[in-house]
Amino acid sequence: MKQIALYGKGGIGKSTTSANLSAALSEKNLSIMQIGCDPKHDSTRMLMGGRWIPTVLDTIRDKGEEINADEIVFAGYNNIRCVEAGGPEPGVGCAGRGIIATFQLLEKLDALYGDVIVYDVLGDVVCGGFAMPMREGYAREVYLVTSGDFMALYAANNISKAIARLSNRSRNFCSLGGVICNSQNIEGELELVSEFAQKINSQLIGFIPRSQIVRVAEVNKKTVLEYAPESEQAGIYRTIADRIMQNSPDVSKKPTPLTMDELEELAQKHIKA
Amino acid sequence: MNSKNSHKNISRLEGCTVIGALTVTSFVTDAATIVHGPAGCAHQSASMIQSAMLYNECYDIPEIFTSDMSEEEIIFGGEERLKETIRETVTDGRYRAIFVIGTCISDTIGDDIETVCKNASAEYNIPIIPIDASGFLGGSFEKGFISAIRGVTELIPPRRTEADAPEAPAEPEHKTVNIIAEKNLEYEVDENFAEIKRLLSLLGADVNTRIARRTTVADIARFNNAALNIIRDDPTGAISAHIKSVSDIPVIGAFPTGLSGTIEFLKDAGRLMNLDEAVIDAAVSSELKNQEEMLKRFADLKGKKVSFDLFGFQKSDSAFLDEIAERAGLKIDVDGPAIMIPFYTPIGTAGVKQMLVQWRRFINGRR
Repeated sequence: MKQIALYGKGGIGKSTTSANLSAALSEKNLSIMQIGCDPKHDSTRMLMGGRWIPTVLDTIRDKGEEINADEIVFAGYNNIRCVEAGGPEPGVGCAGRGIIATFQLLEKLDALYGDVIVYDVLGDVVCGGFAMPMREGYAREVYLVTSGDFMALYAANNISKAIARLSNRSRNFCSLGGVICNSQNIEGELELVSEFAQKINSQLIGFIPRSQIVRVAEVNKKTVLEYAPESEQAGIYRTIADRIMQNSPDVSKKPTPLTMDELEELAQKHIKA
Repeated sequence: MNSKNSHKNISRLEGCTVIGALTVTSFVTDAATIVHGPAGCAHQSASMIQSAMLYNECYDIPEIFTSDMSEEEIIFGGEERLKETIRETVTDGRYRAIFVIGTCISDTIGDDIETVCKNASAEYNIPIIPIDASGFLGGSFEKGFISAIRGVTELIPPRRTEADAPEAPAEPEHKTVNIIAEKNLEYEVDENFAEIKRLLSLLGADVNTRIARRTTVADIARFNNAALNIIRDDPTGAISAHIKSVSDIPVIGAFPTGLSGTIEFLKDAGRLMNLDEAVIDAAVSSELKNQEEMLKRFADLKGKKVSFDLFGFQKSDSAFLDEIAERAGLKIDVDGPAIMIPFYTPIGTAGVKQMLVQWRRFINGRR
């Protein structure tokens, strides 16, 4: 079982990328599970044909913990098993603890299985709860989703710090799988993100060009793989999915996050007037 | 981490803020206290208070409830659970006020206890008072205690303005006094109170209300009738400052210790209550006589040697020990038996007497 997590700055396209990668992986006759770990619970919507599935935490709140797996795990496109952790209303409670409770419940229900589990985790690593997927041996490989945008790189660099910190623990299962560039059509972006990946002791796994087909598929409540399977963009997601399946990062290889100065210098080198 | 005290501050080692708060609120007999946190926060505190009280032969049963927060409340927020607990407590019908004590976890997830209390108070038309007690922000027993004193004083009616009562109320025949911030887990709490009451009676004054020791909500509503506020003790000045902010009644910051300290207390109390000098003089001479009589009972100690073991504490307070030794005719000498001084200094002339009884045991034990 391969367990991967996508982390990155808010709005960078983690959910779109996760859903398309899950869809691409599902074509390989693999059993895929995607878990959205964001209180916004919009990770699996494209895989569910636009349906907002009930979240684990809402279900716990309504019915208590005596629930069945089929009340929180839903079959979507190509039988991808979709889960949304959910969370409290904005501004109350502790969403981080909610993520931990979700994972514990999924384990208790023996629902955490498949050839590949894709964890789609919100924004930055904000607290211990949101680091949970990489902390307790759930996600073994972390993929940083970023563009050439400076703040996106900044967030990615911060997440690599979290992985570096975790790799100092006595029981660490988590490694940095690589960097996925979700392009924002910035000049010099490919070179910038490639060099960033190298500098943090990792590799660029794929470059997703900006494409109108992604928006069109989204408004049609489908992944690109489902909406336009023959498109060039679908092929790009398939290629990245292949690379992830072939990738087996070394747990002992620690990321080397950049200092703020190094990051600024790198951005200045590639982004010019 | 701005609110955390430095590690040097040993008061942080004094235990949980929640317990400190409960030692005050649970002595308002017709009020309930809800500890908003996991059940263990209330259980641990309640057991400690009750065992301390039983040790002091005090058989009151504190009215303590818990909102019993679980993981669900931590994730989704505990405000609904707190509202429900308040509703259950109010429905009981026995309580005239409710205190809600926050805990570490309810503050960590940011439950707005103040607003819940405010709304519930309006809905049920009884005072529901929030008390801040999250120990992880640098609190201790002492901080919870002071927060709870603040909370209980919210039951004091607003000060009378001239618009409310154009004519000043008639001077009562006897002046009365509020006793504030007694340490309810202190072994000598009742003896100390009796001594203060005795000293006040010399001035023709009596006790009005106690904040809080077996006090009712109605007792607290009479707070403003008093002519003087006396605080048990207040090393940081926080309690005096608070009492002065809610009341115009003059304040004495501590119960009296030592022989001359007790006499000074009578003079201060008399003057602050605007008593006639003749009344104060009569009280003072009566108490001086009482002290002489008391000291006569320790005539056997005259000429004996003692030394004090201060454990490095209370250096600045030790002058009153020297005075007692001198008045009892004892000689302070490093070769004398080391007398351990009590952690809390004894109150009034009665306290001095009790201390001399103990000293006699130390001195005679050496024979």
